[in-house]
Amino acid sequence: MAEQELVFTESELEEIEKIKAKFPTAKAATLQVLWVAQRKFGHVKPEVQVLVADTLGLPHSHVHGVASFYTQYYKEEMGKYVLDVCTCLTCQICGGYEILDHLEKKLGIERGDTTEDGMFSLKEVECLGACGYAPMLQVSNEMYVNNLTPEKVDDLIDSLRAGNMPEFESMAMPQHKKRNAG
Amino acid sequence: MSEVFIDGKRYEFEGDHMALQFIMDLGKEVPFFCYHPAMSIPGNCRQCMVKAGQYIKNQDSGEYELDENGERKVRWFPKMQISCSLKLTDGMVIQTQETSEEAERAQKDTMEFLLINHPLDCPICDQAGECPLQIQTYKYGPEGSRFEVKKVHRPKRVQLGPRVTLDAERCINCTRCVRFTDEISKSHQLTIVSRGAKNYPTTSPDETFDDPYSLNTVDICPVGALTSTDFRFKARVWEMSQTPSIDITNGKGCNIDLWTRDNEVLRITPRYNKEVNDHWMPDAGREAYKLFNENRVSRPSITLDGDDQPHTSWNNAIETFAEILEANDSENILVIGSPHASVEENYAVNKFFNLLGAPNARFVSHIVPGSGDGFLITDDQAPNTNGCRLLNIDEASPEALRSAVNNASVVIILADDLVGRGVLSKNDLNNPYVITFATNYSDTTRASDLVIPITCVAEHAASYINVDGRIQRSFPAKETKYTNRRLNLEMSEGRLDRYGTSFDNWVSDDNKIDCRPAWDFLNKLAERLGLGFSYLHSRAILAEIADQIPAFEGVSYERMDEENGIQLITEQQEIKQD
Repeated sequence: MAEQELVFTESELEEIEKIKAKFPTAKAATLQVLWVAQRKFGHVKPEVQVLVADTLGLPHSHVHGVASFYTQYYKEEMGKYVLDVCTCLTCQICGGYEILDHLEKKLGIERGDTTEDGMFSLKEVECLGACGYAPMLQVSNEMYVNNLTPEKVDDLIDSLRAGNMPEFESMAMPQHKKRNAG
Repeated sequence: MSEVFIDGKRYEFEGDHMALQFIMDLGKEVPFFCYHPAMSIPGNCRQCMVKAGQYIKNQDSGEYELDENGERKVRWFPKMQISCSLKLTDGMVIQTQETSEEAERAQKDTMEFLLINHPLDCPICDQAGECPLQIQTYKYGPEGSRFEVKKVHRPKRVQLGPRVTLDAERCINCTRCVRFTDEISKSHQLTIVSRGAKNYPTTSPDETFDDPYSLNTVDICPVGALTSTDFRFKARVWEMSQTPSIDITNGKGCNIDLWTRDNEVLRITPRYNKEVNDHWMPDAGREAYKLFNENRVSRPSITLDGDDQPHTSWNNAIETFAEILEANDSENILVIGSPHASVEENYAVNKFFNLLGAPNARFVSHIVPGSGDGFLITDDQAPNTNGCRLLNIDEASPEALRSAVNNASVVIILADDLVGRGVLSKNDLNNPYVITFATNYSDTTRASDLVIPITCVAEHAASYINVDGRIQRSFPAKETKYTNRRLNLEMSEGRLDRYGTSFDNWVSDDNKIDCRPAWDFLNKLAERLGLGFSYLHSRAILAEIADQIPAFEGVSYERMDEENGIQLITEQQEIKQD
């Protein structure tokens, strides 16, 4: 990936001003502005954290502390798609680790790593709150892919390679079937 | 007047009080880690838990409701309260660990959590012996831990900045250091990173912890997570003796403690004084311990041919001094006092040569405009500029002093590196006979004809007047060749001083400097010259100053000790001077 110059454009600065206007202090806008940065650069490496801090007029240490607290902020360059495979209790029981192992083998990387072509990063994460349709994974902090099987994972990888994000899947809980039907 | 009941005793209070500080002010104890009286209260260590409640008052009659035994009924708060942020209210009932088993148990359990990942490396930890976590675990902690799983590992030996080393595994995330940089030094350099069992304080990756006050975080760290890079592994705290003193590296006069072992000052830490430095001191002041140990003038020396400056005996030094004084007209003696020397030294030296008929002493202040920060670092580089002024020593400009030196036949310099700090040049000192009273070798001693080694602030009791006009004093902390820790009743004794003997191989006499207090040397010189000048102790000099100079009226060591220094110049007087 070519080195990107670390600056915000005029329109991004405008967006940041709008975010700041929503909060009583610039400090409170840290989270949202970090998102602006991560959407633009694909990560919030220390250099980006400094950019965010300077843009907001905050101590560098504060932004670093916030960015390091949340796993959703990527503190290093990641693949185009980040696969967060849940291995917390429910997913684990329903085969989360089988899915993770399958992905490791399929992509030829270990958890925590990124494929050489820069397409996929694989992460093992804690509960994403989707225990009802375990095992599951999340793609790049966005779409959930539920009730995983090795075949479903293979399809997912193929479609991501083709540049298609998975569609949002509305999941019905068994106990709510009646309510939802009515 | 509101009332509060703590451990069954009634206390009265007015205004806003937090329970923890109130309890400590009573001389009682509740364990805590994150609370610090000078900073905000985050309430995140959860260690200071107490059981609290309120006596029940009947809404209609206003009377307290009583139980069957006639005791007042208490409505306890549903959960344990952290006393640091529990504001006292009228009729509040508090039970600390002393009277409540629940509170005791709550504290014990909190500590068990704090200790889950804390390494058991007290034997090699610098904080051991002065560690709140260690002592409170001993007093209030659980006997063992039920956590048999592996401890979480975190970064060790991280050089946070030029002076502070972090061991993240020891950190209990009290955030005192982070709050210090946010609220006190305002450098905002530290933050807590990561989360859960993995978090610890550090700087942003593009910054280094070079805050000029960074070492204060080492002092307030309640565990061994932040340690001084310089002092690390040099001594166990119980081997040192601790002596109150004054910071002489700038004009603020921060109250400090000198920590000595084997007559070497090993570290300097701030001592609380609300009027001067609160709990803090600048890092630069802590470096001063090197001045007390290294490059010291020990034994007098006389310049012979060229730059050769061999040591000589005290007798020869006194004889040479006396002969020079006798051979020269006293009108032509120039005495230069020093803002770097104490009130007593300046007074004694000036008085001695006044008695001989020499003109009043002069001094040149050592002020570097712009070097101060408005907090504890001052433009004034010397600890006693105001002392020289109040003693009526003539303040001279460098130019005026240079021409006075050129016109004098004998120049006597009191502990001031005038050459090193650019007031005089070496050539200025070529013609007159130059006698220097000095603590450390410097460009000035090397340009002098006779060098008399004198005691430094760590070796004598003497007072200094800071930029705000406050007189404060030092205590002797390290022995000279001529003093003895056990005979000098002012010196503090550490464990080694008390129990070690010369025959124990861990005690050394090597670090005693062959120097005398300036007044003590002048006593001997006066004896040789037949002059009526004799002071047994600096205390006698200060007593005379208090007697003779109106500005010092009522000043004594006793008062300074009792009141933590005495304000001599009030602001009103300063405005008048303008």
